[in-house]
Amino acid sequence: MRTPLPYRRSFLAMTGVSTAAFVLGTGRAASAEDLEGGRLPADPFTLGVASGDPLPDGVVLWTRLAPEPLAPDGHGGMPRGSYAVHYEVAEDERFSRIAARGRVTATAELGHAVHAEVHGLRPGREYFYRFKAGGHLSPVGRTRTAPDPRSKVTAFRFATASCQAYYHGYFTAYQHMAAEDLDVVFFLGDYIYEYGITTANWRRQGQPLPPAPHNADVYTLEQYRLRYSLFRTDPDLQRLHASVPWVVTTDDHEVVNNYADDKDEYGTPSGDVLRRRAVAYRAFYENLPLRSTTRPHGPDLPLYRRLRWGSLADVDVLDTRQYRDFYPAGAVIDNAPERLDPKRTILGSRQEKWLYDGFRRSDATWNVLAQGVVMAAIDRDTGPGELYSNDQWDGFPANRDRLYAAMRRYDIANPVVLTGDVHHHIAIEHKADWKDPDSATIATELVGTSIGSDGDGAETDSYGPLWLANKHVKLYNARRGYLSCTMTPERLTSEFRTLPYVTRPGAPVNTLARFVTEAGRPGLIREV
Amino acid sequence: MNDHSTPAVGRRAALGLGLAVPVVGATALPARAADLRGPRPVRGLKAAGEIGRVKLTWDDRPYTPLVDHYAVYASRTPDFSTGPETLLGKTVYTSFKHDRLGGAAQEWHYRVVVVDAAGDRSRPSALVTGRSKESVAISGRPVATVGTFDHRSLEMALAPAGYAQIPRRFPNGADYLHGTHQPATDWPYIHPGPSDNWGGRKPYRYTFRFDLESLPAGELWLSIWLVDTHASLAGEIELALNDTGLGKVRLENGGTRGSLEGDATVPGTALKPSYVELALPRPALVAGRNVLTIDKNVGSWHVYDALGVFERR
Repeated sequence: MRTPLPYRRSFLAMTGVSTAAFVLGTGRAASAEDLEGGRLPADPFTLGVASGDPLPDGVVLWTRLAPEPLAPDGHGGMPRGSYAVHYEVAEDERFSRIAARGRVTATAELGHAVHAEVHGLRPGREYFYRFKAGGHLSPVGRTRTAPDPRSKVTAFRFATASCQAYYHGYFTAYQHMAAEDLDVVFFLGDYIYEYGITTANWRRQGQPLPPAPHNADVYTLEQYRLRYSLFRTDPDLQRLHASVPWVVTTDDHEVVNNYADDKDEYGTPSGDVLRRRAVAYRAFYENLPLRSTTRPHGPDLPLYRRLRWGSLADVDVLDTRQYRDFYPAGAVIDNAPERLDPKRTILGSRQEKWLYDGFRRSDATWNVLAQGVVMAAIDRDTGPGELYSNDQWDGFPANRDRLYAAMRRYDIANPVVLTGDVHHHIAIEHKADWKDPDSATIATELVGTSIGSDGDGAETDSYGPLWLANKHVKLYNARRGYLSCTMTPERLTSEFRTLPYVTRPGAPVNTLARFVTEAGRPGLIREV
Repeated sequence: MNDHSTPAVGRRAALGLGLAVPVVGATALPARAADLRGPRPVRGLKAAGEIGRVKLTWDDRPYTPLVDHYAVYASRTPDFSTGPETLLGKTVYTSFKHDRLGGAAQEWHYRVVVVDAAGDRSRPSALVTGRSKESVAISGRPVATVGTFDHRSLEMALAPAGYAQIPRRFPNGADYLHGTHQPATDWPYIHPGPSDNWGGRKPYRYTFRFDLESLPAGELWLSIWLVDTHASLAGEIELALNDTGLGKVRLENGGTRGSLEGDATVPGTALKPSYVELALPRPALVAGRNVLTIDKNVGSWHVYDALGVFERR
């Protein structure tokens, strides 16, 4: 188990100087330059700190200045001016061995968010970081750089998380994740939900219902900003962000339920969907540790990217929402022949080309796809008929086949798909022929359940027989939790963690199942 | 150790802001020096009256600077100030529906302010005036009605949330005889469609029977007020009078809450009322018993406020 991070008080006690006198790394009195924008009357680090997208020589450090995080205008109680934010990265928790420091400017245009991209660090090691702004010090965060891309990595420890409907339950799963010695957390979509928070969906027992304006559906930038702020006030979420770098992608609820490119399910004109998408993507970028290469331009968010973890793993982080085609025949679930149109795409042509180019160059032991929606074929008709969800890869079978063809063409090693979206733990073997259980297994898909969405859940539910009727589905569970993985050159061990409840705080964590996927043998061997 | 400093960038340069363009028009407010910092005001603001609402539209604009939202202000008098007391709502779209105005015509005056991502505000737009259209349910002479035209479904059977009882209580839909039956027991607040699992995924027909001693001199109109519809699958209704087809009417997507809540007059409600009104062809009417059918063969549910036949005055 990891030791807890030092917080501000203990850090200042270690340094032996007062907050007012302390300037990062020096102990000298604050100068005018340090306080560009002026002194802030209250702690602006109420939303915590975070790191993400680790490279061998650096990470991106994040914070967002918000002395009043729930100010209704979405600006976190910040004045409109720009503020200097200093950051410092050290090799030790006492910040006695400084590795990097710098300054970035937080502007009102970006909601006073900070994305400090640090370079020049050493590969494959732990670092500590902190910020200072307006005369205030942030909590200390811990992060990690990626290994040298040529290095032999003995183990890669990561977890996946998705679907954190704050109003449906406590984020207790993050307490348990923070206690694991993880290198990276992959967040696979639905970091926020756009729905109004009301008595009808509020399930956090012992915590008062957030008042208006949180009761309204989210459309404007101020509403999206406020929604992120509300979710990020959760202490377990803040602690996990501060303890391990995150690599994030979106699903639909970062914008609106089941959107596809410029279409939603409500018949909203495309131009208006794009307006909503633009403010939603802006708030997403502002509130997560993303690099400047990911900064949105209007309604366009250049989100898909690749992470390399030594020679052990290439991780392709996909965007399965922004470029996808809409329902083939207007329905979410059907078996319309239009579903089979070879031109249909969930990734979009540019992302497909980028992905397959990456396959061509990959020499990693494992090839991981971190993405939003279930990729496996799942027939939802338990009788003789066939029904498929067009909200998942089943709505794009030609795109799925092109993906498999590219995997075969470039002979990529050990494909593993990490998925969120459906609020269930599901383990799936991808088959060469979905209708033939004896056909070759060609990939492994690990679907992690939700952090909070749908509340306590149960060991199974009414959808269980439907999923398990597909013989390539090897596990189904309807509790909340997360997926914890250890990847080595020989095997991937995936542990499906569950919590017995989330509507009350303090739930213990259980390991529902442990599977091993051996390198060179796709599929799932159940150990527990 | 490495030092990485990003020089501070003036916000005007960062945002690519140009000088604000003065609004052209007699009702535009004069620009002040302080206003020049904000985004360019809305242009092309137009108002179009519909039954129970005024629809506002305005010109689209580039994504830089990013619009946080458009703040829509309204007043019954034209000489109003934009402030919290006149704020009607906010939207990120380039249109806004000022709805739930009731069936009587109302005149309103509007201005729109742009708020950008930095929180800077534009000058208010030029003023426009809109007038909602009067419903025949208000202007006409009632001939036969079900329910009260008040943006509430509460007087209807099973309201406001008893939808699950529809398959048991009204397995064949509703069959309502004016003057004999009562809304509270005989006309369900909600009309399911074939997309509704709870309704058995089948079409439902609601029948409204009313008597005419003789054909009135004036034109008869049908008015249907809906409190809400399904948000993405409002579907369509198919209307017929005495077996004469009146056509299919595509319903507007609503807010979905209407299956659970019945009062669209509550401030901040998520319900989205809509209206269907059309003339009844005289040849289809008969002296004596008339039979109007409403079939929901496509889509999900809608929730009634009231419906009726009126003689246009």
